[in-house]
Amino acid sequence: MSAASRPAATSTPAPGRDQPPFVVLDNLQKDYPGVRALRGVSMDLRRGEVHALIGENGAGKSTLIRILSGDVRPDGGTLSVGGEPVVFAGPLDARKHGIVTIFQELMIVPELSVAENIFLGNEPESFGLFYSRRRAERLAADVLGTLVQGTGIRPSQRAGSLSTAQKQLIEIARALVLRAPVIVMDEPTAALSENEAVVLRRLIVRLRSEGTSILYVSHRLDEVMEIADRVTVLRGGERIATSDIGAIKHTSELISLMIGRPIAELFPPRNEDLGEVVFSASNLTRHGVFENISFDVRAGEVVGFAGLVGAGRTEVMRAIFGADALDSGEIRKNGQTLAIGNPRDAIASGIAYLPEDRKDQGLVLSMSGAENIVMASLERSGVAGFVSWKAVGRTARSVADKLHFRGQLDALAGTASGGNQQKLVIGKWVLTEADILIFDEPTRGIDVGAKAEVYRLIHRLASDGAAVILVSSELPELINVCHRIYAMSGGRIFDEIPLQEFDEQRILAGAFAAHMAAKPVDSFAGVA
Amino acid sequence: MMMGKSESADQMPSANIERCRPLAFFQRYGREIGLPVIVVALIVLFTANSEVFFSVANFRNIGVSAAALAAVSFGQTFAILTAGLDLSVGSIVALVSIVGAIVMRDHGIPAGLIASLVTGAGVGLLNGIVITRFKVFPFIATLAMMSIVSGLALSLSGGVAVTGVPGAFADLAYELVLGVPVPVIIALLVLLTAFVVLKYTRLGRRIYAVGGNAEAARLSGIRIGAIKTVAYVFSGICAAVGSIILTARVASGQPSLGTTLPLESVAAVVLGGISLFGGRGSVVGVAFGVLFVSILSNGLNLLNVPSYTQMMVIGGALILAVALDQAFIGSRMGKKG
Repeated sequence: MSAASRPAATSTPAPGRDQPPFVVLDNLQKDYPGVRALRGVSMDLRRGEVHALIGENGAGKSTLIRILSGDVRPDGGTLSVGGEPVVFAGPLDARKHGIVTIFQELMIVPELSVAENIFLGNEPESFGLFYSRRRAERLAADVLGTLVQGTGIRPSQRAGSLSTAQKQLIEIARALVLRAPVIVMDEPTAALSENEAVVLRRLIVRLRSEGTSILYVSHRLDEVMEIADRVTVLRGGERIATSDIGAIKHTSELISLMIGRPIAELFPPRNEDLGEVVFSASNLTRHGVFENISFDVRAGEVVGFAGLVGAGRTEVMRAIFGADALDSGEIRKNGQTLAIGNPRDAIASGIAYLPEDRKDQGLVLSMSGAENIVMASLERSGVAGFVSWKAVGRTARSVADKLHFRGQLDALAGTASGGNQQKLVIGKWVLTEADILIFDEPTRGIDVGAKAEVYRLIHRLASDGAAVILVSSELPELINVCHRIYAMSGGRIFDEIPLQEFDEQRILAGAFAAHMAAKPVDSFAGVA
Repeated sequence: MMMGKSESADQMPSANIERCRPLAFFQRYGREIGLPVIVVALIVLFTANSEVFFSVANFRNIGVSAAALAAVSFGQTFAILTAGLDLSVGSIVALVSIVGAIVMRDHGIPAGLIASLVTGAGVGLLNGIVITRFKVFPFIATLAMMSIVSGLALSLSGGVAVTGVPGAFADLAYELVLGVPVPVIIALLVLLTAFVVLKYTRLGRRIYAVGGNAEAARLSGIRIGAIKTVAYVFSGICAAVGSIILTARVASGQPSLGTTLPLESVAAVVLGGISLFGGRGSVVGVAFGVLFVSILSNGLNLLNVPSYTQMMVIGGALILAVALDQAFIGSRMGKKG
């Protein structure tokens, strides 16, 4: 994978180095009430380079992007584009100056067609008056065709029916239509599966070779190493370093820069003390969603599930937890068949499910952190239906301490950072004393420091004898945390890969197995 | 040069924060203290404009007329906390008035009270089942139930008042205990019960959890259907208590009692700071919401403002309260993300 895209970065060393930089940020400052988001950040963006911007949550990345997109104005410092100092009046002004920003929350109007979305605010007209649907759709097809072949996107399609990856292509198409020389991308691969991310990275490399400058914000450092020409690290609103990517030997250097201290290991060693098979699923089926899913987990083992978004991994886990119905199949724990009809049954059987979407499924944001921790085991904090707030506070505190939760337990969960929110969810399930734990994308959208802590927690739970199931779209995570990996595709398990045979290509092949025969996916997905 | 710049920048934000502090304070606590302040302001306003307003007799008046609304509103609080709504409270009051009066007339006061509470609980249970089992939106379910129950009350009574209610029961509405009217004591007991249930029981905390995020609550093993149903049963029982108070006051079973209660109770609950989206707010705030509505209408009465105008004022206040709430949510959420 990296062999294919890496040469592009090295064959054109230092793009645009001989020209003056196109976008220059000089000593930018921005204060919010109580927070200094940017403390004089200077950096530049050359023509035709991919410049990665990294930093922990709260480092100032979002503020910087919002300034570039015209959403907020800096309190101090200057921004110049093409040598001219500019002050953006608003997002539209930033676009006029050639800077298009693609936010994490994609700006797609779901009820409009793909073509209408691409030309939103910039509609092609006929006779200078009427919107020409045919022309818009033809132009849209042209633009999409130049992006990626075989996207399967029809210009007349309702945009709401597209996948996240396809919506992102629409946004990029929009930038191409505007002939924007600068594209700012905020965590573009966060919601994509590994394979979709591969396609996107290839597209970025191509846009660069055509002269587009790209400011690329990402938590995924392997990605930064793969496609960036330079990288700038922010911490606490200050620029810590800017470096040619060639000068960085390993992602751990970037991590140290981001967190301001060396990190021993992002991934703790694997637990070596594996016990008997404690959990097994056989022939689980939910018609039209997944079929004949059979797997097992040993005590102390971390078993990974790889696959594309939509492969059915989350659906299988939700069914095991009783959140969705199963049509057939058997679930056993310690040899005994479990009858699970709803999440209550699963919890009573010692199963925990940490959903992929913390905010929508994991937490009640309008309640305190402490109450969220005790939510699934409220019976233990009080007697006879009553709740003792002292007991709630004490219980939550002891769990929070174990998890190194750094936040206010009595503050609303909605105000906690992503990493702390994830710890609240983990705390809730640690408290139930579950010994079968299902983690669904546990590190999505949290920063590197918090990720390392989540891995350590998973390691500790496994070392204490729990059976852990890890659903993840990040290959490095699966490869470094798991003892065994199942690859799912199209609702079926296609491969079971033991530790000694871990290999990115093999995992990807399994994740794509169901698509290989059916569609010419390789042009869209880039599995080679 | 860098140093100089960052030093001058250092002083800017701290000045900035100082300036923002009163606003931040208001954003944080305005919702909690705003209504009590307005209630006190109303009292001051009416005292200045009417000689009879600030008197023990008038406060007893306000208490008695507020008691029924209070009981109903505390029940409504449960429904709204689950992100639902109970529009059937008014017709429950009417049906309970008829059923209670008939049973009381034929079998005595205790039987009548029990029949009243069971009737209220029964309608609440039906609401809960329709909403959780048949997945009918609370708005539609309780709107339809309002029509059904109202029709039932009218056909049971033949559209006329049920007379022959024991005199001892009717006297209850005006009796004083330690100088406090009995209806007020009943309303305070309902408030105490609601407060304890919501704050200090598993059921109460689960009501908040279900209203705050039903899916997260379900995935935490909470039976959201059962919790919601209990909330509507509680609302029905509270409406029955309100009906008992009103029936005693009019000394007969009336099929037209409580028609204004759906609006007034929702107004009191929302003014009291309970989020219509569920999961947020305290029943103590609702008590102030009830006071606001009751004092407003009492004071306007004393100032000879026609009751039709009062209806307009209450409706306007409700819209204003929700608009303010939205503005608060906007300013709080706007900072995040």
